[in-house]
Amino acid sequence: MAPDNPEKDPLVNQSLAGIYFISAILLILVFGWSLYDELFGLRPWKDYERLFIGHYRAFLQKEIPKQRAREKAVQESPEYQSMKKQLEDVQVSIKPQLADVQRRISFLDDQLQVVMDRATDARAQVTSQLYQIEHTSARGEKESLLQNLDMFKRGPFVVHLPTEDGNGKTTKKSYDYEQLQAEFVHLQDEKGQLMARQATILRPVSDLRAKTENYVKNHLEGLTVDQIQGLVAKTEAFTIEIRQINNPDAGLVDRCESCHLGIREPVVLTRKDLGGRDKDPRTAAFTSHPDLELLKIHDPEKFGCTPCHNGNGMQLDSVEQAHGEYEHWLWPLYQRENFEAGCQQCHAADMVVDHAPVLSTGKDLFQWRGCAGCHRFQGYDSEPEDVLATGKQIDQLGTERAEKQRNIQRAIQQGDQAPDDETARKFYTQADALRVSVSETDMRIGQLEVQTKNLLMGMKKIGPDLKEVRVKIRPAWVPVWINNPHAWRPTTRMPRFRLDREEVEAISAFIWQSGLDVNLPHQPPGDPAKGKESVETRGCLACHSVGEGSKAVGGWFAANLTRVGEKDNYDFLVRWVHNPRERTRPYCAYEKRDLTEQDYKKHSLPFVFDFDHSKCPNDGHELVVEQMTVMPNLRLSWQDSRDIASYLLTLRQKDPASYPKAPFLGDSALKSKGRVLVLRYGCAGCHEIAGLEDEGRIGTELTAEGSKPLEQIDFALYVGEARREGWYTHKGFFERKLAKPEMFDKGRIKPEPELLRMPDFFEPQSDEVTRGMADLSPEAKEQIVALTTFLMGSVNSQYPRRYFYLPEDLRRDIQEGWWVVKKYNCIGCHQFKVGQDSVLMGLARYQTPEGKDQLPPKLLTEGARVNPEWLRRFLWNPAMNDTETDRNGVRSYLKVRMPTFYFSPIELRKLVRFFQALSSQPMPYIPPKLEPLTGRELEMARALFTSRGAPCLKCHATGDAAHDRFATAPNFLLAHDRLKPDWTKHWILDPAMISPGTAMPSGLFKQAEDRWVFAGPTPSLFKGYGGDHADLLVRYMFEITPEEQRRLVGMSAGALKAGSPKKPGRTVSGLGRPLVSVAAMHGR
Amino acid sequence: MNKQKLPFSLLIVPLLLLPSCGGKKTEVSEQPSEAPSGAQPTPIDQSTVAAITGKVVFQGVKPKLARIMMDQDPVCVQKHSGAVYPEDGEMNSNGTLPNVFVYVKEGAEKYTFSAPTDPVVLDQNGCVYKPHVLGIQVGQDLHIISSDPTTHNIHPMPKNNREWNESQGPGAAPLEKKFARSEIMIPVKCNQHPWMRAYVGVTKNPFFSVTGSDGTFTIKGLPPGDYTIEAWTATYGTQEQKVTVGSKETKTLDFTFKPS
Repeated sequence: MAPDNPEKDPLVNQSLAGIYFISAILLILVFGWSLYDELFGLRPWKDYERLFIGHYRAFLQKEIPKQRAREKAVQESPEYQSMKKQLEDVQVSIKPQLADVQRRISFLDDQLQVVMDRATDARAQVTSQLYQIEHTSARGEKESLLQNLDMFKRGPFVVHLPTEDGNGKTTKKSYDYEQLQAEFVHLQDEKGQLMARQATILRPVSDLRAKTENYVKNHLEGLTVDQIQGLVAKTEAFTIEIRQINNPDAGLVDRCESCHLGIREPVVLTRKDLGGRDKDPRTAAFTSHPDLELLKIHDPEKFGCTPCHNGNGMQLDSVEQAHGEYEHWLWPLYQRENFEAGCQQCHAADMVVDHAPVLSTGKDLFQWRGCAGCHRFQGYDSEPEDVLATGKQIDQLGTERAEKQRNIQRAIQQGDQAPDDETARKFYTQADALRVSVSETDMRIGQLEVQTKNLLMGMKKIGPDLKEVRVKIRPAWVPVWINNPHAWRPTTRMPRFRLDREEVEAISAFIWQSGLDVNLPHQPPGDPAKGKESVETRGCLACHSVGEGSKAVGGWFAANLTRVGEKDNYDFLVRWVHNPRERTRPYCAYEKRDLTEQDYKKHSLPFVFDFDHSKCPNDGHELVVEQMTVMPNLRLSWQDSRDIASYLLTLRQKDPASYPKAPFLGDSALKSKGRVLVLRYGCAGCHEIAGLEDEGRIGTELTAEGSKPLEQIDFALYVGEARREGWYTHKGFFERKLAKPEMFDKGRIKPEPELLRMPDFFEPQSDEVTRGMADLSPEAKEQIVALTTFLMGSVNSQYPRRYFYLPEDLRRDIQEGWWVVKKYNCIGCHQFKVGQDSVLMGLARYQTPEGKDQLPPKLLTEGARVNPEWLRRFLWNPAMNDTETDRNGVRSYLKVRMPTFYFSPIELRKLVRFFQALSSQPMPYIPPKLEPLTGRELEMARALFTSRGAPCLKCHATGDAAHDRFATAPNFLLAHDRLKPDWTKHWILDPAMISPGTAMPSGLFKQAEDRWVFAGPTPSLFKGYGGDHADLLVRYMFEITPEEQRRLVGMSAGALKAGSPKKPGRTVSGLGRPLVSVAAMHGR
Repeated sequence: MNKQKLPFSLLIVPLLLLPSCGGKKTEVSEQPSEAPSGAQPTPIDQSTVAAITGKVVFQGVKPKLARIMMDQDPVCVQKHSGAVYPEDGEMNSNGTLPNVFVYVKEGAEKYTFSAPTDPVVLDQNGCVYKPHVLGIQVGQDLHIISSDPTTHNIHPMPKNNREWNESQGPGAAPLEKKFARSEIMIPVKCNQHPWMRAYVGVTKNPFFSVTGSDGTFTIKGLPPGDYTIEAWTATYGTQEQKVTVGSKETKTLDFTFKPS
């Protein structure tokens, strides 16, 4: 560098102004940007609030005149006017009385004022003097003080009492102390009386006013004008701010209502109300919650929003983030079709969740599809686990018992060797206490053993018992079915296991060879025509369907019977129809084998095994004595069973002989290969298979599958694709896994035994695997949505347990009862809730007026209707008779049969409690004592029962065969044990209130002042009777004996024979011929 | 006693039958003419109204009907001198069908009709409903009376209307009922006399008619236009025909039913 060219001084020559300037500008811009973001950009909710309040106010203001018009219409109605007139009239009529009382009160007030001042003043002085006297020790002083007090008390106390109201005049009165106090009390008392009188006078006014106000409230939909105006006022005070629900108890901060502003408003808001669908898409956020009833049950201040809906409740930056629909939030908002998943996290213990039909369907399907055969899920099919747990408890108690026994011995020993008697007694007492405790343990163990037996009774398998396969099935059908059940019976719940021919043959051979090889008694043929009639009328169609596809008639709960004739053996089918619970051989879980006749013979016992003979003859262990099916015993005669079986065998689409022969079934070489496959696929989860009775579930537990981290879920080679396509979610996985489980094997290199074992429950049309449900039938899609919803909601909840629905009152009985009701499909025949129609109610046969009377009873108020103890007996044996079982115990006139389910005592208890709880009935039930009928009342009730006016016996059965041909209602003899008197009275007054559509007519009684009287003509005996006629009849019904009933039947039969249209005890005018009198008829 | 009873019964049976015979006559002739008279408050030009008339023929042999056995209630037996047969499926002697409900199913939606003030009467006489088939307008009063000295219960079993079931003892006041929604047809039964059956057709318009013993029907007062007319029978199903009526025209429309 040249020296004369010195280095330039950067301070002088280089300006950074430009850079500074740009930086400054940038800084200002960034500052502006951050300000903008702070105030607007990151606060989109502010716009929502502004938008909302404008629309809302406009809506309310539009609503006011409309509602005013409606209010006016109500107020102009004649009812309202007459009430108003009445109110005014009463107000006028009480005016003089009221004015008088009020005048007297105010006069008394004036007097009281004067007397009160004087009296309280005097009392204070007396009290203070007494205090002084009590605290003075000197006797002399005490006495003089006492004298002073006496003087003071003598008075005189002069008061100027006002004489008349308002004229200012007074009279002078003088009292001594006691008189003054008495006058004060007297005046107070008088005022109290007057006040009470005033209230009595005013009562009709306040009653009428409340009535008119209620009338408007009841006849006006929505809010009153005043209330709406209140809301408008509230909108004036609206401020733009974050609205949040903060419940620290549950660790909950939900700011959803910063945008969803109309959710809880007291008026129902639709998009139309808020400017319409096209105006601004954001108005969609403002609509009311679609089910405000739900918000009443779940107070949002406690439950917030996200526990039910998911999403990121704290986020406000954008819609996507608030809804949790971004990578860093694990719980995105439930989509519309799955939103009921939110109910599951707290309602996992419920089988039926009100307001959540999709979730409830999912819960049903999980059971019905047999998912629990492979996958544990808490609550489902819990009996086997409970049996194990009970066994453990028994073992533990046994150990405790042994230890206690040892302690007893020790205590006795110590007592024996004790140095003195007192110590010895102490040890002996200790030993006695322990002995009692041992007996308590014994009792407990006994209870648990009973419990085990009861649990075994309730243990069911979803699929049929494969031990019976040789007795039941035609061999050629077995491989056809195993290969693809859906192809043979599209509606079956048995899934398709992707098997090749060799595997099919091996499994068939194993199952065939492990089946019992016995011969059932040969059955003579039945009459298929009669059998068809029975299938259609006995109630089979509540669970089974006949006919394919859209022509299927009947329920979905059990198998479609359209092709039964191609597969079943007649002799087996007859036994099955006669009693599906009948087993060929009992199974001993201890010996792990099916017992034979020999086992019983060895102990010289008859080969009899049932619930009364359920102990193993070899070792005393509890046996499995019945088929583990939920199908009940319809108590049909052998002839009916043969007819039905004969009919079922006519149901076939092709000749069973046309099935290709299956010689490999007997190939013993295939058996072990088949066994491996049967174990691999977990067949024993759903079927009883010889040798595999103790096999556990092969699938993963699903109780909390919805909260399993996505990384732990096997998307196999689809992770990338799923992320790209937006189905890397629980929903995306569940839907695809259910639709086509094998898709997750695609591209994987695995040996065959490691391939996914989950079978195909649905049959998608294409191989386009990632499309999820696109290729499924609508029914299949519906099922997958329901199951997905159920699984998505099944999570390890982060909320405290007290938020779950685990009631401990009557509601728990309801919760537990539904599991049993669903397990046995009671809703196939019965209606439990209005709107929930049974399967039978939908069948064509039951649409006609005659058909409707043949429907099983509705159980809408069953708990209030029947005595729980009776119900327990009825549920155990609906024939209500030990020997004649081919009948209905209550409704003998129904063709449809209430079957015997052999409910376990546990289930019976749950069911009885369920019905009682549904009707809010306390347990145990203590029947009220009914006043016995007097002689006259008995005569009256009899006369009424047999009179033309009271047609009771026209419909109610009496046990007389000729009469009961026309009966459509139960026998009165049942009433005493079966019914509750309170319910019975409600029933006879207005049966339609309890069971809409019942054959029992309303209007039999009319109200006369404070009692109910019979609406029709009453027999002459009723003259002068002041009691309640409905009560009389109820009491009579609860007293009827078989003898009394025969007498009644005789009386009405007599009336029938006499053929007289006239009432007994009267004479026909004009003819002068006396007819049979009541007394004469009684004399018979 | 039975011997003594005989002359008395013989005396009283014709007496009881008399009013019921008379009643039947007026009911049948009144029914079709009464209904259309209710069509006053409509924007229909009465000077152009047309009518549809016709008969309902049955093609087939006279069906054999099982006799109704009323012996579970002697009151019912006494009201009849001979055997009683069900009216469902019955054929007139001239080969036509009685009790066919013929009504305008479609085409009258644009007119509104207020319910006529005259009530329709349903009588229970001899444990048989008179008439067997009746039409009524939405909101019109139905008076149910009983001429029997026994207790009946009236139990309509509708699909769209509310179901009720009320008892009516001998000599009880008439029941007054209305139906709020149109419905073809509502079966009515008596649970105590299971053979008793009536059908109520509830329509929004007054354009309906029930065939009588001559098998003819007449629907009057129809404004000109296109209509779908349906004929309903209890046993032989329903049939419909499309028809266009001009101003003041009287169209003839016949229906033919075959055994089901």
